[in-house]
Amino acid sequence: MNSSDQRLPLTVITGYLGAGKTTLVNHMLRHAGGRRIMVLVNDFGDIAIDADLIESQDGDTLTLANGCICCSMGGDLFYALSDALDRQPRPDHLLIEASGVADPTRISETARAEPDLRLDGTIAVVDAVGFADRVADSRIGSSVVRQVAAADLIVITKSDLEEITELAKLKTQLAEFAPGARQLDANFGQVPLEVLLGGLPSAEVTARAHACSHHDHPDDHEDLYLRWSISGDFRYDRQTLRSLLENLPAGLLRLKGIVQFNADEGLGLVQVVGRRAEITSLSARFEGVMQTNLVAIGLKGQMEPADLDRLFA
Amino acid sequence: MQTVVYAARKIITMVPNRPEATHVAVRDGRVLAVGSLEEVSGWTSSDGGEQRLDETFADKVLLPGFVEGHAHMMAGGIWQFTYVGFEDRISPEGMLWEGLKDIDAVTQRLRQIESELAPGVPLIAWGFDPIFLTAHRLNRFDLDEVTRDRPIAVIHSNFHLMTVNSNALDLAEFDRNTDVMGVDRGEDGEPTGELQEMAAMFPVMRRLKIDIRSLARTDGGIRAYGKVCHRSGVTTATDLINDLPIEDVELIAAITGEEDYPARLVPVLNAHTAPADEIAAQALKLREMSTEKLRLGSIKIITDGSIQGFTARMRWPGYYKGPDHGIWNIPPEQLMTAVETLNAAGVHMHIHVNGDEASEVTIECVAQALTKNPNPDHRHVLQHCQLADAAQFRKIRNLGLCVNLFANHIYYFGDKHYELTVGPERAERIDACATALSEGVPLAIHSDAPVTPMGPLFTAWCAVNRVTPSGRVLGAAECISVEEALRAVTLGPAYTLHLDHEIGSIEVGKKADFTVLEDDPLAVDPMVIKDIGVWGTVLGGRLQPIS
Ligand SMILES: [Zn+2]
Ligand SMILES: [Zn+2]
Repeated sequence: MNSSDQRLPLTVITGYLGAGKTTLVNHMLRHAGGRRIMVLVNDFGDIAIDADLIESQDGDTLTLANGCICCSMGGDLFYALSDALDRQPRPDHLLIEASGVADPTRISETARAEPDLRLDGTIAVVDAVGFADRVADSRIGSSVVRQVAAADLIVITKSDLEEITELAKLKTQLAEFAPGARQLDANFGQVPLEVLLGGLPSAEVTARAHACSHHDHPDDHEDLYLRWSISGDFRYDRQTLRSLLENLPAGLLRLKGIVQFNADEGLGLVQVVGRRAEITSLSARFEGVMQTNLVAIGLKGQMEPADLDRLFA
Repeated sequence: MQTVVYAARKIITMVPNRPEATHVAVRDGRVLAVGSLEEVSGWTSSDGGEQRLDETFADKVLLPGFVEGHAHMMAGGIWQFTYVGFEDRISPEGMLWEGLKDIDAVTQRLRQIESELAPGVPLIAWGFDPIFLTAHRLNRFDLDEVTRDRPIAVIHSNFHLMTVNSNALDLAEFDRNTDVMGVDRGEDGEPTGELQEMAAMFPVMRRLKIDIRSLARTDGGIRAYGKVCHRSGVTTATDLINDLPIEDVELIAAITGEEDYPARLVPVLNAHTAPADEIAAQALKLREMSTEKLRLGSIKIITDGSIQGFTARMRWPGYYKGPDHGIWNIPPEQLMTAVETLNAAGVHMHIHVNGDEASEVTIECVAQALTKNPNPDHRHVLQHCQLADAAQFRKIRNLGLCVNLFANHIYYFGDKHYELTVGPERAERIDACATALSEGVPLAIHSDAPVTPMGPLFTAWCAVNRVTPSGRVLGAAECISVEEALRAVTLGPAYTLHLDHEIGSIEVGKKADFTVLEDDPLAVDPMVIKDIGVWGTVLGGRLQPIS
């Protein structure tokens, strides 16, 4: 379904030291399911990406040195992105684990500017136990807030260690910093890869839900997440669709698929990650797909299928 | 045993007992004696060796060879692009490129270069400085007048911006629908052609194959850097961040090892590419690969951004006007680990700090590291250190740190700092050379070439006069004397590089590295020291006139 979009999807993973970025990246690699994921690590603290995983996924990890930010033209990011784009064959997905203090928008804007890249989203990893102290720290507070504010999805780690009331406070604080960004409590094994990386063909979604081949965690995805899909002769006005996408249920994490436009306006590719929504026009002769075909995943209890039906059907 | 005695109009030595002399005797590439002809001739009369009197410098003034303590190798290779800056500049090959005083002059030069290019080749220019050309902002229409048939990119002097023509915008698929940070758009909604920062520049650079890093890594780039140093009278220059893979080290060693390579180089290892313990091991290994003209073993850490980009880390009350985009390039707690690990391993560090919070945090890290692992004579250097106040300088002194202040910055960015970034009071203490000296901090000053042009006389002029393009004297109390400024471009930086026992003064036993000037900087009006001609240099006793 993705074959007309040749752009290389890029996900930025941001978060302060110790928040759990590397654990998240390893989780994504472990469940990559045959996708070739290239990982760029912009952190020289402790590089703990599991090399075995990378080899088994036929992917690649590059360390991104910070180099000299006062001459950003010569920066490592430039070379790493060029290198990823020039690889034959290109990886299926690019993950950038930004440094603990990086401003993720510097990376995500590059992906938005470059025609051969597609910003899939920015995922902030937030440590429930340490976050408030970090925000209050005059030296790193602004960096930490900036990371969260840039996020489309916020993955909250160590939430099981925090009192319920404290956790609620944290979520309110996060929502203030990043209105609209979707928040996920995660003990890592519990975040399905389709939430983090998307890209699953709709037909496979159900089949894949239990297809994790590597289980070092309780597989209770289905208790937490809910899938919804629609397929048929549904047509949309471009403007209306845009405003639909701006008013999705708060629990919707990802939405993806093909839509038909009214009249002869052809087909569009819709991709929503958290609060980020993108509509791309597709060429008329598109891989045999004729009809609207959308699939979503969200948090149970915060996304009602009936609401989505009402919006799209 | 051949001894050559050079007679000069004046020799400025940096040695207190005889700060000035008329003759210097050189043997085996080293200074044998400095003083009067009679004094320096004593050696040959006692050991019976041959002595030749050389009058080449009879009307010249000799100084210890200038040491550029913070510059970058790409200052050489950048000349493969067309220079379109405001000031006259001489290319490494000796060609004069006249400064361009308005946008018409810029487009005229581009048109001339364009007419000589093969079809399809992009036209890339550098050094454009909008600070000086204020009539209107350079835009795609100006560049479209040059041509629309090939892409044009004009890189601004600060390397954070470029202006491109419509052809280049089309290649990058930038149009009125582009909503990307840094892609500047006019009132009509169309891109103006100005692209700000990495994100906006990336698609153009990728398609035009503008590869900044390789400018510093090729045979030609390394040679061109030597020529840039030579033309500005520099005999020892740093390359203040380099990944230094082994094949690059071998290439630099081979090229600098040639007899006629005109300078000694001090490339400094980028500490951001691996964990600190691995960097320490790499640095210690590199140290062993040093030669007479290539010194290795130091590392560089970058902590924050730049003041003019609002990305330096500032203490309260922050930026004066404009948003605070202060960024750490490394989290403070990782900086602590890195500084501690590298200091414990005995590795010499250059640490880039611009804002006063960056200097504050770094001072704390060094204090902790030194408490754990005392390291006498470490000479770690705070690079730039532009906004440190007197209290920070006292801590810096107490810890045995050195500073290398960015004196050229006073001229190039001083007005902007006064009016916009940090406000009048803190702008006046920017690059506080006098405070550093009065507090007893070892001082060097630098150009950060190619960010500003390499030229130690100009750098000294900035520290002495502190004037800005608007005519303001920025912090008169921070002006230093010409003698002090000359020391800050010779013995001062030599000390920051652990090389002051070999270079930095004209003194018995040291390398015969001299800068040869047409006039005496201690005798002319301090406002014209930047205009004194450079005859050339002497490196290890070898005469190197600028041809
Ligand atoms: Zn720098
Ligand atoms: Zn620099």
